[in-house]
Amino acid sequence: MALPLPQGLVPTEVAFLCEMEMVTVVPRQRLESIPLLSGDTPVLRPPHRAPMPLWLALLLKKQRRANIVPPAWLHPASLADIIHHETNVDPQAFSPPPPPPTRADGRTGRARPFQENIRSSREAPKPGDDPRLAPPFLPSCTADAPGGYLPYHWLELAEALLAHAADDVPAAAEVRSLLRDLQEVRAAKMRGSTQSLEGGGGVVVLRGVGAMELAESRAFVLGVVDGVRKLGASAEATRRDEEANGGGGRYGGGGGRGDFEDSDEEMEF
Amino acid sequence: MSYYDLDAILTDAEKVPCKFELDVPDLGYLDNNPSQGLKAQTPVSLPLWLAELLALSSRTQSSNPEDSAPFLTLEMPKALSNEVVSALKADPRAVALRDQTHNMYGLATRMLDLFEEPEMCAVLRRTFVTRAAETALHARKAGATDDVVRGEGFLSGLEEWERSLFRRAHDGNKACKEWMEGVKK
Repeated sequence: MALPLPQGLVPTEVAFLCEMEMVTVVPRQRLESIPLLSGDTPVLRPPHRAPMPLWLALLLKKQRRANIVPPAWLHPASLADIIHHETNVDPQAFSPPPPPPTRADGRTGRARPFQENIRSSREAPKPGDDPRLAPPFLPSCTADAPGGYLPYHWLELAEALLAHAADDVPAAAEVRSLLRDLQEVRAAKMRGSTQSLEGGGGVVVLRGVGAMELAESRAFVLGVVDGVRKLGASAEATRRDEEANGGGGRYGGGGGRGDFEDSDEEMEF
Repeated sequence: MSYYDLDAILTDAEKVPCKFELDVPDLGYLDNNPSQGLKAQTPVSLPLWLAELLALSSRTQSSNPEDSAPFLTLEMPKALSNEVVSALKADPRAVALRDQTHNMYGLATRMLDLFEEPEMCAVLRRTFVTRAAETALHARKAGATDDVVRGEGFLSGLEEWERSLFRRAHDGNKACKEWMEGVKK
């Protein structure tokens, strides 16, 4: 009650974090490397594509010094595919997140994101040891990101691109309407996902859900989970008691958590 | 549950039907009969906090649980009666829970603590999740379209837990929409 902010991130914070995502830009002017806290940006030479954080790319776009190459999944055909997957192929779950990047030698899990220097083979880290494999550090929104998969920040990035770089997105109007459809389909799934809690042991599978969708429905889903927990609290207590009693019998009443719990009823003073 | 939780206080004040196990002098006014004492087995309605206390405490000093005799016996309140529960079993969305009591689920959790009713517990849980999904749908649509009339009946039947769910779902949607309209700037 003290702080009026809701639990978790609010949509504006999520959108801010999304600005850290890397996108591919096609520069129109030369620009020297800029030393930033997150590392130096690549030198921009006009016909060569370069990866840039979204915020810088948007800034350059506004100054007409670069064009942004939209990621493959933002293409209308890819979005239509995803909608098809969501509605027909797998109407229960969300469409899967992009697979981890693969190397040419077929080993997965060793991403080569932006600016990672090719380390000498002697100090190559063990597989699974790369701290950059989490969503914000994967190049999931650059031009070479795989199509047909929605990355973690899909909605925010798409909205930002459509708002500021609509001329760079092919078939922007179609993309916009497809995004609306996709958003509705997934919101309906999000609402439906709480239904699986009915049995008591249900877990809501949130694989492939985007950051903005989480921010939107976090409070609601937590509210439902909490309500189900409160309604089932007495049944749960009974179940535990029974379990503890059964266990107590089996182990000949030897000490244990269960015995401690019912000691009020069993002990005679 | 906070000490200042208004819903908890209101749930505490819900009347539940109960019967005294013994004659109580000077309590006749509970049965609209102030001139005489209250007879045993007269059905009266007491607030939950008082009834619970009297039903659980023993009027004799003996600590043996076998012959502990409570002051009164509790019954299920009307909101959780068989009719309501079977109506909920048939179609959770068709029942206006708010007409039963404003704190339906709050009262139900308290009563489930006192009575062992695994079936009612399952029905209520199913009711809650089914209605929650419906509530979220209305929360998303609220303000976006003009067809208020369609959802009005359902929304006015929401009880307190569901109202807070509606508010949460609606706030989430609203924040998201506001952000989306603000992206352009």
